[in-house]
Parts: sequence; structure tokens; C-alpha cells
Amino acid sequence: MQIPGVTGRRVLAQLLVLVASLAAMAAPARAQLRLDITEGVQDAVPVAVVPFGGQAEGGSTDVAAVVAGDLRLSGRFAPLDRQDMVTRPTSGGEIRFEDWRLLKSDYLVVGSVDGGGTAVAFELFNVQTGQQLLAERIPASGHDLRSVAHHISDLVFERLTGIPGAFSTRIAYVTVEGKAPARRHRLVVADADGFNPRTVAESGDPLMSPAWSPDGQSLAYVSFEGRSSAIFVQRLATGERRRVSARAGINGAPAFSPDGTRLALTLSRDGNLDIYVLELSTQALTRITTDDAIDTEAAWTPDGKTLYFTSDRAGSAQVYRVNLAEPAGVQRVTYTNGYNARPRLSPDGTALAMVTLDRGYRIGLMDLKTRNLRVLTTGSQDESPSFAPNGAVIIYASEDRGPGSLAMVSSDGRYQERLSSSRGDVREPAWSPYPTR
Amino acid sequence: MTGFAREHLRPLLGSAGLHLLLIAVIGGMALRWTGPQPPVQLAIEGVVVDARDLPKSVRSGRALEEPRLERAPEAPPAAPVADSKARARAAAEAAARAEAERERARELEARKEAAALERRKEEQAAAERKKQAADEARRQAEVEAERKKAAAVEAQRQKEAEARAAQDAKARAAREADLKRRLAAEEEEGAARSGVKDEYRALLVQAIERNWIRPPSARAGLTCTLYVNQAMGGTVVDVKLGPCNGDEAVRESIVNAVYRASPLPAPSDPRAFERRLEIVFRPTE
Repeated sequence: MQIPGVTGRRVLAQLLVLVASLAAMAAPARAQLRLDITEGVQDAVPVAVVPFGGQAEGGSTDVAAVVAGDLRLSGRFAPLDRQDMVTRPTSGGEIRFEDWRLLKSDYLVVGSVDGGGTAVAFELFNVQTGQQLLAERIPASGHDLRSVAHHISDLVFERLTGIPGAFSTRIAYVTVEGKAPARRHRLVVADADGFNPRTVAESGDPLMSPAWSPDGQSLAYVSFEGRSSAIFVQRLATGERRRVSARAGINGAPAFSPDGTRLALTLSRDGNLDIYVLELSTQALTRITTDDAIDTEAAWTPDGKTLYFTSDRAGSAQVYRVNLAEPAGVQRVTYTNGYNARPRLSPDGTALAMVTLDRGYRIGLMDLKTRNLRVLTTGSQDESPSFAPNGAVIIYASEDRGPGSLAMVSSDGRYQERLSSSRGDVREPAWSPYPTR
Repeated sequence: MTGFAREHLRPLLGSAGLHLLLIAVIGGMALRWTGPQPPVQLAIEGVVVDARDLPKSVRSGRALEEPRLERAPEAPPAAPVADSKARARAAAEAAARAEAERERARELEARKEAAALERRKEEQAAAERKKQAADEARRQAEVEAERKKAAAVEAQRQKEAEARAAQDAKARAAREADLKRRLAAEEEEGAARSGVKDEYRALLVQAIERNWIRPPSARAGLTCTLYVNQAMGGTVVDVKLGPCNGDEAVRESIVNAVYRASPLPAPSDPRAFERRLEIVFRPTE
């Protein structure tokens, strides 16, 4: 007879506890002071990439150094100097978060390379909350450690920014060395951080305008070998190349359509420079522009239906666009500044990078929705902008300090970085698409 | 009763008359026989008393003549009776006379006593009256004194009440003035405090904005709420993410902004400190 009463009381007590805890849970809704945050800073996010375990100092590829370099190059992160690291944990269990909070790092990357170099394990932590954000083990066999490191950078970057990393991509560019007649023109492909440069074409005559195929397997470029211009498409893996256009006059400014089946190019065969589209499989050529002025440097929209290009039909170079379905309806896009050329569409098609004359030839970015043109760089001879496939960074060539060199600017203009590893006179960089896996 | 009385009136009256005659004769002889006589006037008075005791019919009839008959003792006593019969009769008469005499003495005594009593009563009454008068006078004096006293007390009371009222009014005025002053002060302080609070809010906003590394994905249209608990020293104790339409990078960035800003700034007036903060990130482009 007593038990039901006791049980009842216990149930009541439990109910009370439940009500109390519900009230406690509801508490956040009754916050006292309300703050409205409308601004933030444009700083790079402080991150610490601790030297990985299992790696001798000054030995093989320093994975942590590559990752830190990638993150720094992205402009979004500010890696902590190694000499400031008080401790060097190589796994999550060894981390004392207070240390890293004191060092003002928001995130922490720790990891180690397997004894045989067959795999690399790493973890990413939020220092402020102590939360583990990533923990992966990447097989390294068959890959060099550098590419494994780039992959780690990609994962970390994507986890922290929501944007896929572009550290495993490549850039193509042209270098010019020496003086005529011994001058050498080289077409070079390197890792996105400038490492591992590899010459894919070399000539005593100019090489120009490299353009990536959408699958990242081939490059189209202009070669003046034999004293006349021709457009080649070269497979990088095999070096095999095909001449796709060698018409009379100028053959220039090739650009692959997004599906890779067509090539937009500039030809002068009809008297002046105009934009054409070449069907690669059939060699069928379609003339797109017919103006008496120079029309060149075509760029495809992601849907493959529209071309943006440079034309001086209004007296100075400006950017226009044309819908391939109605070539007669050419529209002018740029009006500000006296010179706008070399348009390049962002991967998502919402913005247009170009060279604009604004107290110097600089890289500008136009928001295609608002038509607002923003100047991103501060040089006097910046040229040939090219978007990283994630759209976060634009690579360009600059002749500000003597011969051309490569530089990067984040597409929000926050961050600029010169690539130190580029050698000689470097021109016309082109950022690869994501590698197909 | 009346019937009985009317029927026997005549014999009754006759018998009564005869008796009276007899008594008168015997009494007369007895009086003559006994020596010194009491004062006549007194005897007459005694008769009067007797008469009052007689029945009414007797008083109205021949009874009125009886006193006159009783004056007979002045006549010389009857000739001594030589024989025993006469002597017995004389003895009886003497006894009766003695009895009457005693009766009269008792009567006299009673009368004297009554008179004394009456006199005492009168004296008493007089004393009573005198005493009453005195009492009355005293009472009136007392009443008067009382009245005077009451009047004095009332006057005093009145005075005191007035004084008190005046004092109350003064106190009330003072209180009101004080209240007004305090209200004003409070208003002022409230304003100051709300100023302090605004300033505190601005300090907090500044600290957090300086520490919010805004990711590119944090664009206009973003609205994210954080619920933050801070300790007295401004140390951020915990951060809870509320409603947020931002991506993971945004969420990380705003939570970290608050932690990075820890310890949060303190208000200039500790009373403006708020343990719980609701922070809304709503960036403008």
C-alpha cells in the first residue's frame, strides 16, 4: 500500500526536475543584453600547423610546412611561426588548448607521417572550443608527400571556409629567358604554390596564351614557331599535341568551352581580328563577331552560351559580350575607366576579372549583377588574370619589379601575394580546373 | 356577608351596647378603686386610641359617648364589698385596671419611642439633606473642576493636534520634496545607467567586431544568434549557437569571435554588467 504513494512522490519529484531542466534549457531565450554585430575584420584567420611527427627536420618534404604555405597563400589564413610554438603535439591527445589560445591561434593542425611514409594522419581542432573538426588518414603510397600535403590543405581549407581548396591544382604560365637570338620561351606547368615547375613546351619563338581544357588534361596555346602563329592543344600526360588552327594571319587567344568540345579563338583571316568558335572534333568554324574593330580574348560563361571579349570598337579597349545564339546582339559590359581588357569569368559566373586602367594597369573585378567594378591590385603593369577553380583567388602576372612575375590576389581584394618561386620573365598564368579523379 | 350583617345588625348592636355599658361601669369602679390617676388628658387620648380600634359601626354610634363615660373614675369608688364576691369582683377590676395601666404605660413608652424615632428620623433626614446638599455642592464643584480640567485637556489636545498637524504637514512636505528629489535623482541615475549600459553595449560590440574574422560567405542577409554566458570578470563561459542561416565557416567564425574577445570588456559601472548576452550577427555588405 505504501509503494504506490512513494512511487507517486518520486514521479512528482522527477516531473519537477524535468520542469526545472526544461526551464534551464529555455534560459538562453531570456538573454539580458542584446548586441548587434554588423561588421567584422578582414584579417587572416590565425592557425597553427605543428610540424608532423615521424619527420626528421630538414629531411623529406615537410608536410606541415607545405600545409602552412598553402594556407598562407590562400590569403585566408595566417599560420603561426614555428618558433612561437611552445609545444609540438602530433596528435589530439597531446594538445593543451590553453597554450594555443595564449598564442592566439584559432585552429590547430597536428599530424604525423607513418614510419614507412605510407600514410599521413592529421587532425584539425578548433582551439577556442577544443572541438575536433577533422581527423583523417591519407594513404601516401604512390603519391609524393607534397601532393598529400596539398590534399590536407584542401581538406582543412574546405572545412574552415566552406570553399573547396585549390591547393592540388596547377598553374600554367609562360617564361621568357635570355636575349635574342638565344631567347627561350617555355610553357611551364607547376603546382598551385609554384613548386614542381615542369616545362611542357619550349621554343625560340614566342609561346603565348595557355588555356586549360575543362578536364585539366590538356593545354591549348599559341605558338609562333615557324614564324607564324598557330594554336596547339597538348595533352600534358603524354606531351602529345595537335595543331587545331593555323589559318592565315593571326591565330590567337584560345579558350575551351566548358564542355571541352569547342574552342573560342581570335582570327584575322577575314581582314581584322574577330572572335570565332571552332568545333574541335569537326574543325567547323563559326564566326561570332563581325565588327571592323579588334575583337579578341574571348571567355566562356559556365553555361557555354555566352562569350565575353575585348573590343576597341568604341575607340578604346572595353569588354563586351555576345550570346552565341544571336551574334548580332553584342552588348557592351564595361564603361568605367578608359581601358578594360582580358575578361575572365569566375567559376560560378557571377564576376568578371579583367585588366583595368586605374592609375595603372591593374586587376579589376566586376560584379556582373551590380555592374560594380572593383580594383583589386595596386600595381602599374598587372595583367592576365586567371581565377582559381574555387574562385577565391586570382592569379596574375605583374611587371612591377622588373621582369614579369606571378602574383595572387584574393577575389575580395584582402590579400595579395607574390609568388617567389617564379623565375625570369613570367607571363600569362592560367589556373587549372580541379583535377578529375 | 352583607345579607348576614343586615339580618343580625340589631342584635349585634344591642349586644355590643350592653357590653360597652358593662365595661364602662366596671371600668369606672375599678378606676375609683385604684389610687392615683394618670393625667386626664392622657386618659382621654387613650380613649381616642381605643376608639380607633373599634368597629366602624360602633364609632359612628354610641361608642362616641364612651369617653365621656370613662370620666367616671373621678366619681368615688364603689362602697367596699364586704363579701368575697365583691372582693373577687374588685380584684378582677383592679387587675383589669392594672392591666390597662400597664397598657397605657407601654403605649406611652411606644409613643415616646415613636416620637424619638420620629425626631431621630427628622434629624437624620436633616443631616441627610445637609449631607446631600454638601455632596451636591461637592459634586458640582467636582463636575465643574472636571469640566474645567476637560476643557483644559481639550484645549491642550487641540493645541497638540494642531501642532502635530503642522508637524505632519511639514514632514509630508519634506517627504514629498525628498521623494521628488529622489525620483529626480533616480531618473538621472537611470539615465546615467542607461548611458552606462549603452556604453557597455558599445564596448562589447566593438570587442566582438574586432575579433570577428568575417569569412567571405558572411554576406548581407546573414542572421546568426549566439547566446553567451560570461563570468564576472568577462571570461566567456559558454557560447551557444542559436538560429543561424550561415554556413559552417560562418558558425565557426562567430563562435570564435566571442571566444577570441574573451575576457569581454567590463562596464564602467559594475551594475550594468550582464551575465547573459544575446549576440546577433547581421553583417551589412
